Amino acid sequence: MSVSANDNTAKVSLRGFLAKYSVLIAFAAIVIFFSVASPTFLTPANLFNVLVNNVVMLAIVALGLTIVISSGGIDLSVGVSVDMASMVVVMLLAAGYSGVVGVAGGLGAALIVGILNAILITRLNISPFLATLGVLFIGQSTQQLATSGGQPIYLTSGYAADQFNAIARTALFGIPTPVIVLIVLVVAVHVLLHRSVFGRYVQAMGAQPGVAWYSGIRVQRELSMVHVLCALLAGVTGILLSATVKSYVPLSGNAFLLDAIGATFIGTTLSRERKPSVIGTLLGVLLLAIVKNGLLLVGWNFYWQQVGIGVLVFLVLAASFGLRRAAH
Amino acid sequence: MSASVLHTEVGVSDEKQAVAKSAGRRFGALVVRLGAIAAFAAIMAYFVIFAPGFTSTFNLINVVEQSAILGVLAYGMTAVIIGGGSDVTEGGIDLSIAANMGLCAAVYATLLSMGYGDFLSVLAAIAVGMAVGALNALAVVGFGILPLLATLAVLNVAAGMELTLTQNTVVGASSPLLGVLVSGSFLGISALAWALIVFSAIMIVVVHGTSFGLRLYAVGGHPEAARAAGISVPFYVSFTYVLSGFCAAVASILTVSRLSASTPGSGELLLSVLAAALLGTVFSRRFVPTMGGTLLSVLFIGLLANGFQLLNVSSYWVNGVQGALILLVVAITSFARGSEGSR
Repeated sequence: MSVSANDNTAKVSLRGFLAKYSVLIAFAAIVIFFSVASPTFLTPANLFNVLVNNVVMLAIVALGLTIVISSGGIDLSVGVSVDMASMVVVMLLAAGYSGVVGVAGGLGAALIVGILNAILITRLNISPFLATLGVLFIGQSTQQLATSGGQPIYLTSGYAADQFNAIARTALFGIPTPVIVLIVLVVAVHVLLHRSVFGRYVQAMGAQPGVAWYSGIRVQRELSMVHVLCALLAGVTGILLSATVKSYVPLSGNAFLLDAIGATFIGTTLSRERKPSVIGTLLGVLLLAIVKNGLLLVGWNFYWQQVGIGVLVFLVLAASFGLRRAAH
Repeated sequence: MSASVLHTEVGVSDEKQAVAKSAGRRFGALVVRLGAIAAFAAIMAYFVIFAPGFTSTFNLINVVEQSAILGVLAYGMTAVIIGGGSDVTEGGIDLSIAANMGLCAAVYATLLSMGYGDFLSVLAAIAVGMAVGALNALAVVGFGILPLLATLAVLNVAAGMELTLTQNTVVGASSPLLGVLVSGSFLGISALAWALIVFSAIMIVVVHGTSFGLRLYAVGGHPEAARAAGISVPFYVSFTYVLSGFCAAVASILTVSRLSASTPGSGELLLSVLAAALLGTVFSRRFVPTMGGTLLSVLFIGLLANGFQLLNVSSYWVNGVQGALILLVVAITSFARGSEGSR
């Protein structure tokens, strides 16, 4: 009798373990698979390439979404923040301003998107989903109007443009600048979200908005902060993006939205309460990036990659959610 | 005895207050609803007066035809939102619907171009659409994945499969059925417009005129209560996702007929579909999604784009105005809700 009970708890805890670590297990399995399937996968050069080209920009957008999703909201307009920052920085540089002014202007543009979201959500009581959906539409129109229907703006070589492009090309102690930016932001957002009073307020609002309000948290102020931070982080990605490609391509930021949401929610499978975390989000971003890269190396074309990623995310989520449900 | 009288009296006065309050609430909601509808009407009136040819029969039928695809998709989305609850992060939503339409259109056009007949091709498109819907249902109901997340993964699968199938090219298609849809007409109304009219009628009757529809609302509004009342919640939720897949397949046939081909980029419709389904709530008395409301907002979005075109306003404005309208309508709605003292 007692043995069978023990057996049962062992089974349940094994399921719980599998549910909790399904993403990590999948991650390890995928890394092993690609290492065997492709000789170039596990080389430092390739992993470095994945980090710089696939991870950094997506991870920064996903960090912002992690904060927003922790607060119980969503931001569909991150792509607009990316695009606006990219557009303003490239326009300023093309008009002959210095890199510093350009970067400041770009971040300012993202800040405006964030403030707009914050006003709509906290002052006008619009739900984050609808508010940011509206801003997404308006942002798309704005870009089309500003670029006569979506013409890209290219930076011709010049002092300011080269100086700006250097952001993407230079390295410090052998580490490329974008990676350093990412590391700094990861540490900052981790501390902010998991080690600070602000972070605790944000988590409380996400878990129990009513209780958070009754406990005296100034929900409106904190929520405004959350959306402004998210937009600013997306703005950083916008600047890195235009520094890398030396141009602004209208409506290109939206490509980050679905991947960033996916990465953040993949990360939530790490915690029992399904709370987003910085570590989990990074893991989600790495998973997506490695699968994309691995499928490319194994010789799948771009179109099949998308199917592969969809199937993989589906399976990971099914395993995590399904096993947890079975464990209950 | 006296205590019980007192109790009743308190109860009565409470009830009176509640009645007064709910009357005020109803009045506030009515004002808001009429205000939003008046705003829509004002925009329409502006177009009628200033846009040349706006009210001509030819133009209005053209708008209905253009709205057919968006409308059919928006019905699928509306059904999912009704059955899954309208909470946007945890409730029902189908992000894969537009990508699913793209996949179905690719399947349909490819089969036609390979020489299979209309019957088989339509059947295959509908099977694919419903299979994608069933995959969503499996993820949401079977595995308990958040709809937002599950349909996001399925979106990637469907969009990727469309690309693999078509290699990101335009697949031309022609068939007797497409011929009828393009040039056929009955009572002076073209086939595409008929498609929207018939589909709308079916959806409105099923969702708002049958006990099936009533149970669907119960499942979305209060799943626990629905379960306690003996309704199979998993069945109804699954049904909405499969229905949404079916709508995607129907829309795919309409889009192939309009363009005489399957073209990449159908995923861009997603946002308009969401906007139509969510804007539609303003036409309902309790701000819930309804099929009639969705139809009105679909037509409104169509008329807006059309009016801009006739006024020679750049089409780049349409998205922005659509976004601003969503914000305006929802802000007014939430203002009315807030003033009811429910917060």
